[in-house]
Amino acid sequence: MIRAAFTVARKDLALFLRDRTALLLTFALPVVLAMIFGAALGSMGGAEGMGRVVVLVEDLDGSTQSRALVAEIAKSSGIEVKATTGARARVADGKAVAALLIPNGYETDLNSGREARLVLYRDAARTVEQQVVAGSLAPILMKLAGKQIGRSMMRKSLAAIGMDEKVGVELEKTMGDSFADGGDLMSSMPKALGLEIEDVTGTDDPAQKNAGKAHAVAGIAVMMLLFSLTAAGSTILDEEQQGTLQRLRLTPTASRALLLGKAIFTICVGLLQLVVLFAFGAIVFGLPVHKTLLALLVLSFAVASAATGLGLWLAVTCRSRKQLEGLSTLIILAMSALGGSWFPLMITPAWYQKLGHFTLNAWAMDGYHAILWYGKGLDGIVVEIGVLLAIALMLTLFALRGWNRRFEVTT
Amino acid sequence: MTIDSQLAVEARSVEKRYGSQVALAGVDLTLKRGEALGLLGPNGAGKTTLIRILSTIARQDSGSVRVLGLDPAVGAVAIRSRIGVVPQELALYDGLTARENLNFFARMHGVGESAVSERVDWALASAGLTERANDRVVTYSGGMQRRLNIVASLLHEPELVFLDEPTVGIDPHSRNHVYEMVERLHASGVAIVYTTHQLGEVERLCDRIVILDRGRAVAGGTLSELQRRVPATGRRKLRVIADERFVEAREALTKAGIEAEIEEELPDLEAVFLTLTGRALRDGEI
Repeated sequence: MIRAAFTVARKDLALFLRDRTALLLTFALPVVLAMIFGAALGSMGGAEGMGRVVVLVEDLDGSTQSRALVAEIAKSSGIEVKATTGARARVADGKAVAALLIPNGYETDLNSGREARLVLYRDAARTVEQQVVAGSLAPILMKLAGKQIGRSMMRKSLAAIGMDEKVGVELEKTMGDSFADGGDLMSSMPKALGLEIEDVTGTDDPAQKNAGKAHAVAGIAVMMLLFSLTAAGSTILDEEQQGTLQRLRLTPTASRALLLGKAIFTICVGLLQLVVLFAFGAIVFGLPVHKTLLALLVLSFAVASAATGLGLWLAVTCRSRKQLEGLSTLIILAMSALGGSWFPLMITPAWYQKLGHFTLNAWAMDGYHAILWYGKGLDGIVVEIGVLLAIALMLTLFALRGWNRRFEVTT
Repeated sequence: MTIDSQLAVEARSVEKRYGSQVALAGVDLTLKRGEALGLLGPNGAGKTTLIRILSTIARQDSGSVRVLGLDPAVGAVAIRSRIGVVPQELALYDGLTARENLNFFARMHGVGESAVSERVDWALASAGLTERANDRVVTYSGGMQRRLNIVASLLHEPELVFLDEPTVGIDPHSRNHVYEMVERLHASGVAIVYTTHQLGEVERLCDRIVILDRGRAVAGGTLSELQRRVPATGRRKLRVIADERFVEAREALTKAGIEAEIEEELPDLEAVFLTLTGRALRDGEI
């Protein structure tokens, strides 16, 4: 039976390698899609390549402090500052995401220790950009305002206890040094408050900067794998239509050997597709695939097996290629959306993440994230591999049941 | 049922229904080893269903079947290794060459690895495809594909072969080649079940004929036995063999009061075609 299965697999592989359209769809299309998604998600996990949000600034104060504020904002990696007038109207017209108005008296308020008033006009419909704006502005404002308020309060306090003005200057200098080194709140303010922050997920690893690209490659790999392997599984229907399946059923070869042969062929194609995609990811995006090659191969085998099980089950369930194409497209797109092939599940609500883990995509993506994002080895993805192999086994048994019902001797 | 070892096929009272539709309504059929049987019948008569049952991929609802002395219900795999089925539709891989197709089917039929090459060469020669063995099947003419379709079922040297309309849609050269292949097969002692709508093929190739209609075997026997079952027209044909004096013969009959007419026997169109174009296969010509 094994010999016959490999004979079937070898034949299918020969046919596949001569089919230019199938080769193009299996290898070239996923690479192109990974490139597009990689470019789109490239900034995830790092600031490099991130699209900057344009924020209009209308500086009515025109003071040293207001100009310092604008300069500080302009340094932000997430924001591009453009000076303007009539800021509110421009945001209201939808010409800008947000605009910062610095009113007259901003510097005076700061120096006097009063609350300095600023106005942020926002286009509420553009929620994602608003988060970028808020996330970028808040630490800058806290840093600058905090410094001024602190300095003002210190002067008042020293005067109240009759201290020499020179002491105040020295203290201000010390305070200035402590705030001068940090461009953002996360690295300066918490430190001042005694909170030590350490990035533990590969800050010195380029993979961390390429997390978005890693997700794109893995996500596209899993989704396209499902499409490819469903197409590979559909060779059963092709063979039924062209009569070769009937001919094979008339040979003494066990009918299950045919199904096993199809499974071997589809797993081989799947592994080949994943190897090509991750090689592309390593060369073009610098994904660290070489660091955990064994884990990547074992996980890819498990993913390909699960996808093969699905492809074979669909193929023996559907009555025609047209039916298979329609049903598989629906299932694969739904699974890809739910399972995090398009976007990371970590940005979705908890219920969505739970639902997503009813798909093989989610387990595959968890595994690939663990390897490519967190640098885990084989021992770190045992659960994912176990679940995927269990899915593979379950779907293959379903496929075998369907096969027996459909192609074994009819009574 | 007593098993007759001399029979390649023995079917008794075979019935098969698909829902409310009766495909076979108690068919009896026997085929001796080495015998060629023509299975005739209009569309829907039950020929395909009967062949499916005899070739082990369908099971009868009632009645008994023995193929090469074995019961398909329990010995399907053993039967499959000893029979060959040539399907009506082409069942080949277009993207593979003839040699690759035959290599594949030989292995699937369980031909030993050491014998595969020899059997494939035999099949290619038998089908007249040796020179095109390494071309993909998609580049073949209909006749070439038909011939390949036949030999792909003979690689494992079966004792019983089912041929289901093997000459549909092919040119006279290829058809003649197929006839010769079947005749060689028959001469080598292989039992044959041959279904066709071309009655001339059955006359040429088969020892015995069974006519199926509405799921029943309505007649069976040799051609002459079947001919005797139909009332004659009353007309007789007098053949003057290789004698130029047929005019004198007619005059003699007329003198004896017997009405007679002279009709020259001409070759049929296929014979004219093959004589004018030669009997050799023309696969390589454009």
